[in-house]
Amino acid sequence: MVTHKGHRIHPDDENTSFFSPSPVPSFSGSGIQSRDNIHLASSLSLNDSSKLTRSNSVATNADIPSYTPPWTTPYIIGVAGYSGSGKTSISQRIIQELNQPWTILLSFDNFYNPLNKEQRQQAFDCEFDFDEPASLDFDLLCECVSSLKAGNKTEIPNYSFVDHNRTGKSSTIYGANVIIIEGIYALYDQRLLDMMDVKIFVDTDLDICLGRRLSRDILDRGRELMGAIKQWEKFVKPNAVRYVMHTMNNADLVIPRGMDNIVGINMMIKHIQNQLSLKSELHLEHLQRLGLTHDLNLSKKENIKILPSTNHTNGVNSILLSKDTDRTDFIFYFDIIAFKIIEHALEFLTEFEENIPISTYGNYTYNGMKSKDEIIAVNIIRSGDCFMSSVKKTFPEIAIGKLLIQSDSMTGEPQLHTESLPKSIKNVSKTGRKIFLFDAQIISGAASIMAIQVLVDYGISVKDIILCSYLSTEIGIRRIIHAFPDVKLVLGKVSSMNSSQEEGLVRGEVVDKIDGYNLEGFKDTDWVFSNRYIDSLYFGTD
Amino acid sequence: MSSENLIVLPQTKQLIGLYSIIRDNATKRGDFVFYSDRIIRLLVEEGLNQLPVEDAVVKCYGDHEYKGSKFLGKICGVSIVRAGESMEQGLRDCCRSVRIGKILIQRDEETALPKLFYEKLPEDIHERYVFLLDPMLATGGSAMMAVEVLLSRGVKMDRIFFLNLLAAPEGIETFQAKYPQVKIITGGIDERLDEHKYIVPGLGDFGDRYYCI
Repeated sequence: MVTHKGHRIHPDDENTSFFSPSPVPSFSGSGIQSRDNIHLASSLSLNDSSKLTRSNSVATNADIPSYTPPWTTPYIIGVAGYSGSGKTSISQRIIQELNQPWTILLSFDNFYNPLNKEQRQQAFDCEFDFDEPASLDFDLLCECVSSLKAGNKTEIPNYSFVDHNRTGKSSTIYGANVIIIEGIYALYDQRLLDMMDVKIFVDTDLDICLGRRLSRDILDRGRELMGAIKQWEKFVKPNAVRYVMHTMNNADLVIPRGMDNIVGINMMIKHIQNQLSLKSELHLEHLQRLGLTHDLNLSKKENIKILPSTNHTNGVNSILLSKDTDRTDFIFYFDIIAFKIIEHALEFLTEFEENIPISTYGNYTYNGMKSKDEIIAVNIIRSGDCFMSSVKKTFPEIAIGKLLIQSDSMTGEPQLHTESLPKSIKNVSKTGRKIFLFDAQIISGAASIMAIQVLVDYGISVKDIILCSYLSTEIGIRRIIHAFPDVKLVLGKVSSMNSSQEEGLVRGEVVDKIDGYNLEGFKDTDWVFSNRYIDSLYFGTD
Repeated sequence: MSSENLIVLPQTKQLIGLYSIIRDNATKRGDFVFYSDRIIRLLVEEGLNQLPVEDAVVKCYGDHEYKGSKFLGKICGVSIVRAGESMEQGLRDCCRSVRIGKILIQRDEETALPKLFYEKLPEDIHERYVFLLDPMLATGGSAMMAVEVLLSRGVKMDRIFFLNLLAAPEGIETFQAKYPQVKIITGGIDERLDEHKYIVPGLGDFGDRYYCI
């Protein structure tokens, strides 16, 4: 069914939920169409600012290279239709069938204009026209979509139908593979239409729509028959005829009879799947070509340091990778490798005050040096926490920030759940601070890229970020480097990219042997490189 | 100086930064201990890198196998009391259950020569690789006496690794002339010894500064 699975560029993920099918794949909670209930189940990823913050600061733009990761070129699907036509069901069906990570459902319900007091009273009396285009904030929606399309951190507002106002909370999203824009006016605004890859109109007979709407309003939402009919007669139907109907002309595909049209829906999904696998294939080819170019040779890149293979590190690696190692040993030896990685990372700090006269005992003078950099540690919860014991042993007074980035277990979209960073982080570039970012494993690279983006949004220059990780896949590293060419990486062990093409595979191996960072011939798809097991073992929660 | 058996930690700016702290006579004891410990850790890791490992098939999670390495586990620390004991923790941080022997050597008041007062070493030390711990290599007198003790217990000379934070060229010279196969692993080599046989510029008496007497 999911044909693109074979072409997927990231056969793994930062979180176990990444590939899980999305049983209730609705972005902002289950009651998304409800106008009467608080409909936001997503109390998880809430940020204080209510307005959309666009992260395209000057620094970000300067750092985006010619290569664009797939999530910065999302596939955008518009789904329009009358109220009660079944467009939400179809959108959810699409999400389920695509089973793509980083799929986002943007519902128009979150983009209503806030109401004033008078309007609010009208709304409570079922006298307010919610079905008119003017009730929606198209500008904000366009801004959100183009921000997502640019791969920027984007705040999606939450709208409460109890207060008829934005809740002041929002969900933070970084990039997406697939964006579904769903609402009666999805095909209304030219700016949105221009951004969409496929436009779908669900053309269900208005009588059926009324029937569905009535049963939904009365059975599910406990409303009066008369009120519901009044709203239909007065607002919903006239607006549908006046504004919605002709947007059908903007559609690439019209699905008559809504969800009942199984053949039509299946054809549509097939088409979208084909488009997405084409996109994946192109991207994979692109990556493979990049992977064979000389300047992307990992061991020759100046901003990547891989722990040299010595007897001691080889022995420690063997213990950490072995399934026969007990937890006590695992923790002990992980602390050792973490210490080595941190010591290695320190070599990136090159700004030193030199020739400081130091008087030693016996009144001799020593030509001393002092680092000009101050270090702030930021760890990606939970896997980065494994480094903390070693960090504390190396810098007892270090300031530590934390980022919680997880994929939504329902939709699979990556979300920034919590950011708690030291206040001093804002002055980083001014005072010569360096950020050590910790994550025990880099698998798809998605969490790291998101974490780096968060730091960039805080105004930190990418070249001041040193990402420390133990097990890393080549594909993950390449993505990070492509997204942020100036970021510095310190890695314990690196596997090699799997290639579906024989030629690439052989060449890749030859390169590895010469450069000596993966003499063991680990592959990105090996279990230890494609599963987050380190933090589970370290914290004993598997 | 034989370069083959003299291993000096790479003199990175980071390392010189650490030495700048511990050499400074204004540095408080807490910092002295902390930053000395970091250097000691680097010395120990360098020592461990020198030890042979044996090939072993590692069964990874997910039933994947690869040819990895296995520690032989035949090491033993020997500290020269008192200053050498400061390096034991660094060794333990890398090898949890390592055996540690002790040797007490002091200057004989009458002859002004180093004299062996006490030794307690593992029975099977002759089968082991030995990390000899003493933070300073000045004249090399006590270290050489300690090596003599080890050799008399059957330890092979090329299995002795002498770990120290700071060495004087004169000390290295004398030591290597007598025990060419012992590997010296040091964090830095200073200019010379002064007329009191102190390392110049040095860092003072390591034991005193570490144990605060």
